[in-house]
Amino acid sequence: MQRVLVAAALGVPLLAGPALAQQPAAEPLAVGAAAPDFTLPGATRYGVLAQPVRLSDFSGKTVVLAFFYRARSKG
Amino acid sequence: MHAYRDQYAQLFNDGQDVVLIAISADPIDTLAAWARDDQFQFLMASDAGTVVAKTYGALAGRPGMTNRNLFVVGPEGKIAFRAVPFREIDPAAYTELGEAVGRSVGKRE
Repeated sequence: MQRVLVAAALGVPLLAGPALAQQPAAEPLAVGAAAPDFTLPGATRYGVLAQPVRLSDFSGKTVVLAFFYRARSKG
Repeated sequence: MHAYRDQYAQLFNDGQDVVLIAISADPIDTLAAWARDDQFQFLMASDAGTVVAKTYGALAGRPGMTNRNLFVVGPEGKIAFRAVPFREIDPAAYTELGEAVGRSVGKRE
Protein backbone atom coordinates (compact mmCIF):
# COMPACT_ATOMS: atom_id res chain seq x y z
CA MET A 1 0.00 0.00 0.00
CA GLN A 2 2.81 2.37 0.87
CA ARG A 3 4.38 1.79 -2.50
CA VAL A 4 1.09 2.56 -4.20
CA LEU A 5 0.73 5.80 -2.29
CA VAL A 6 4.26 6.84 -3.16
CA ALA A 7 3.65 6.06 -6.81
CA ALA A 8 0.43 8.05 -6.79
CA ALA A 9 2.16 10.96 -5.10
CA LEU A 10 4.83 10.96 -7.79
CA GLY A 11 2.22 10.89 -10.51
CA VAL A 12 3.37 7.51 -11.78
CA PRO A 13 0.63 5.92 -13.85
CA LEU A 14 -0.08 2.72 -11.97
CA LEU A 15 -2.25 1.11 -14.61
CA ALA A 16 -0.36 2.21 -17.67
CA GLY A 17 2.32 -0.20 -18.79
CA PRO A 18 5.83 0.80 -19.81
CA ALA A 19 4.80 0.93 -23.47
CA LEU A 20 2.14 3.51 -22.78
CA ALA A 21 4.48 5.51 -20.60
CA GLN A 22 7.11 5.69 -23.34
CA GLN A 23 4.71 6.40 -26.18
CA PRO A 24 2.41 9.40 -25.94
CA ALA A 25 -1.18 8.78 -26.98
CA ALA A 26 -1.44 8.82 -30.74
CA GLU A 27 -3.16 11.66 -32.54
CA PRO A 28 -6.50 10.72 -34.11
CA LEU A 29 -6.09 9.39 -37.64
CA ALA A 30 -6.52 12.09 -40.26
CA VAL A 31 -9.05 12.16 -43.05
CA GLY A 32 -7.52 10.42 -46.06
CA ALA A 33 -5.38 8.05 -43.98
CA ALA A 34 -5.72 4.32 -44.52
CA ALA A 35 -7.87 2.78 -41.80
CA PRO A 36 -5.78 0.09 -40.06
CA ASP A 37 -7.39 -3.33 -40.08
CA PHE A 38 -8.30 -4.86 -36.73
CA THR A 39 -9.99 -7.90 -35.26
CA LEU A 40 -11.99 -7.64 -32.03
CA PRO A 41 -14.53 -9.74 -30.12
CA GLY A 42 -17.96 -8.65 -31.30
CA ALA A 43 -21.56 -8.79 -30.20
CA THR A 44 -25.05 -7.87 -31.31
CA ARG A 45 -28.29 -7.61 -29.35
CA TYR A 46 -28.64 -11.34 -29.95
CA GLY A 47 -25.43 -12.19 -28.12
CA VAL A 48 -21.68 -12.53 -28.47
CA LEU A 49 -20.62 -13.36 -32.03
CA ALA A 50 -18.91 -16.68 -32.68
CA GLN A 51 -16.56 -14.96 -35.14
CA PRO A 52 -14.66 -11.80 -34.21
CA VAL A 53 -15.36 -8.52 -35.95
CA ARG A 54 -12.76 -7.73 -38.60
CA LEU A 55 -12.73 -4.37 -40.36
CA SER A 56 -11.55 -5.81 -43.67
CA ASP A 57 -14.59 -8.10 -43.77
CA PHE A 58 -16.61 -4.98 -44.60
CA SER A 59 -14.49 -3.85 -47.51
CA GLY A 60 -16.67 -2.06 -50.08
CA LYS A 61 -19.00 -0.75 -47.39
CA THR A 62 -18.92 2.39 -45.33
CA VAL A 63 -17.92 1.55 -41.76
CA VAL A 64 -18.52 3.90 -38.86
CA LEU A 65 -16.22 3.31 -35.90
CA ALA A 66 -17.79 4.94 -32.87
CA PHE A 67 -15.54 4.73 -29.84
CA PHE A 68 -17.22 5.50 -26.53
CA TYR A 69 -16.28 5.63 -22.86
CA ARG A 70 -18.17 2.86 -21.20
CA ALA A 71 -21.24 0.65 -21.53
CA ARG A 72 -24.44 2.05 -20.07
CA SER A 73 -23.12 5.59 -20.11
CA LYS A 74 -24.91 8.35 -21.98
CA GLY A 75 -24.13 9.27 -25.56
CA MET B 1 -25.58 5.30 -28.06
CA HIS B 2 -29.33 5.70 -27.87
CA ALA B 3 -29.20 8.51 -30.41
CA TYR B 4 -27.46 6.13 -32.83
CA ARG B 5 -30.21 3.60 -32.21
CA ASP B 6 -33.07 6.07 -32.53
CA GLN B 7 -31.67 7.83 -35.61
CA TYR B 8 -30.22 4.71 -37.21
CA ALA B 9 -32.18 5.08 -40.44
CA GLN B 10 -31.20 8.72 -40.99
CA LEU B 11 -27.61 8.56 -39.74
CA PHE B 12 -26.53 5.19 -41.09
CA ASN B 13 -28.64 4.74 -44.21
CA ASP B 14 -30.64 2.19 -42.21
CA GLY B 15 -27.67 -0.17 -42.41
CA GLN B 16 -27.69 -0.36 -46.22
CA ASP B 17 -24.03 -0.48 -47.27
CA VAL B 18 -23.18 0.98 -43.86
CA VAL B 19 -21.84 -0.88 -40.82
CA LEU B 20 -21.79 0.82 -37.45
CA ILE B 21 -19.37 -0.62 -34.90
CA ALA B 22 -19.51 0.83 -31.39
CA ILE B 23 -16.23 0.20 -29.60
CA SER B 24 -15.20 0.48 -25.96
CA ALA B 25 -12.83 -1.23 -23.55
CA ASP B 26 -15.70 -3.03 -21.82
CA PRO B 27 -15.71 -6.85 -21.80
CA ILE B 28 -17.70 -8.27 -24.72
CA ASP B 29 -20.26 -9.86 -22.37
CA THR B 30 -21.00 -6.43 -20.91
CA LEU B 31 -21.48 -4.95 -24.37
CA ALA B 32 -23.69 -7.84 -25.48
CA ALA B 33 -25.89 -7.45 -22.42
CA TRP B 34 -26.25 -3.72 -23.00
CA ALA B 35 -27.08 -4.25 -26.68
CA ARG B 36 -29.72 -6.78 -25.69
CA ASP B 37 -31.27 -4.67 -22.94
CA ASP B 38 -31.40 -1.50 -25.02
CA GLN B 39 -32.01 -3.22 -28.39
CA PHE B 40 -29.13 -1.74 -30.37
CA GLN B 41 -29.37 -2.77 -34.03
CA PHE B 42 -25.62 -2.34 -34.66
CA LEU B 43 -22.39 -4.14 -33.85
CA MET B 44 -20.51 -3.76 -30.58
CA ALA B 45 -16.81 -4.58 -30.27
CA SER B 46 -14.63 -4.99 -27.20
CA ASP B 47 -11.24 -3.31 -27.37
CA ALA B 48 -10.33 -4.45 -23.87
CA GLY B 49 -6.62 -3.81 -24.37
CA THR B 50 -7.30 -0.43 -26.05
CA VAL B 51 -4.94 -1.53 -28.83
CA VAL B 52 -7.27 -0.44 -31.60
CA ALA B 53 -8.10 2.80 -29.79
CA LYS B 54 -4.40 3.54 -29.61
CA THR B 55 -3.94 2.82 -33.31
CA TYR B 56 -6.78 5.13 -34.29
CA GLY B 57 -6.05 7.79 -31.71
CA ALA B 58 -9.07 7.28 -29.50
CA LEU B 59 -7.53 6.82 -26.08
CA ALA B 60 -9.02 8.68 -23.15
CA GLY B 61 -6.88 10.52 -20.67
CA ARG B 62 -7.53 7.77 -18.16
CA PRO B 63 -5.58 4.56 -18.70
CA GLY B 64 -7.50 1.66 -20.17
CA MET B 65 -10.36 3.76 -21.50
CA THR B 66 -11.45 4.88 -24.93
CA ASN B 67 -12.77 8.36 -25.65
CA ARG B 68 -15.65 9.37 -27.87
CA ASN B 69 -13.81 9.71 -31.18
CA LEU B 70 -15.68 8.67 -34.30
CA PHE B 71 -14.30 7.70 -37.70
CA VAL B 72 -16.11 7.06 -40.96
CA VAL B 73 -14.18 4.59 -43.10
CA GLY B 74 -15.08 4.81 -46.77
CA PRO B 75 -15.64 1.80 -49.06
CA GLU B 76 -12.02 2.08 -50.22
CA GLY B 77 -10.74 1.72 -46.65
CA LYS B 78 -9.69 5.29 -45.97
CA ILE B 79 -10.83 7.68 -43.27
CA ALA B 80 -13.53 9.76 -44.95
CA PHE B 81 -14.64 11.77 -41.92
CA ARG B 82 -13.75 12.09 -38.28
CA ALA B 83 -15.31 13.67 -35.21
CA VAL B 84 -12.71 13.99 -32.46
CA PRO B 85 -14.50 13.94 -30.17
CA PHE B 86 -18.01 13.30 -31.37
CA ARG B 87 -20.12 15.97 -29.63
CA GLU B 88 -22.97 13.75 -28.54
CA ILE B 89 -25.16 16.53 -27.17
CA ASP B 90 -24.83 18.79 -30.22
CA PRO B 91 -27.54 18.26 -32.86
CA ALA B 92 -25.15 19.63 -35.51
CA ALA B 93 -22.80 16.71 -34.83
CA TYR B 94 -25.49 14.28 -35.95
CA THR B 95 -26.24 16.33 -39.05
CA GLU B 96 -22.55 16.32 -39.98
CA LEU B 97 -22.29 12.59 -39.37
CA GLY B 98 -25.35 11.79 -41.45
CA GLU B 99 -24.05 13.91 -44.31
CA ALA B 100 -20.61 12.31 -44.15
CA VAL B 101 -22.07 8.82 -44.23
CA GLY B 102 -24.34 9.82 -47.10
CA ARG B 103 -21.39 11.15 -49.12
CA SER B 104 -19.43 7.97 -48.45
CA VAL B 105 -22.27 5.70 -49.50
CA GLY B 106 -22.84 7.81 -52.59
CA LYS B 107 -19.26 7.25 -53.69
CA ARG B 108 -19.81 3.52 -53.96
CA GLU B 109 -19.92 2.37 -57.56
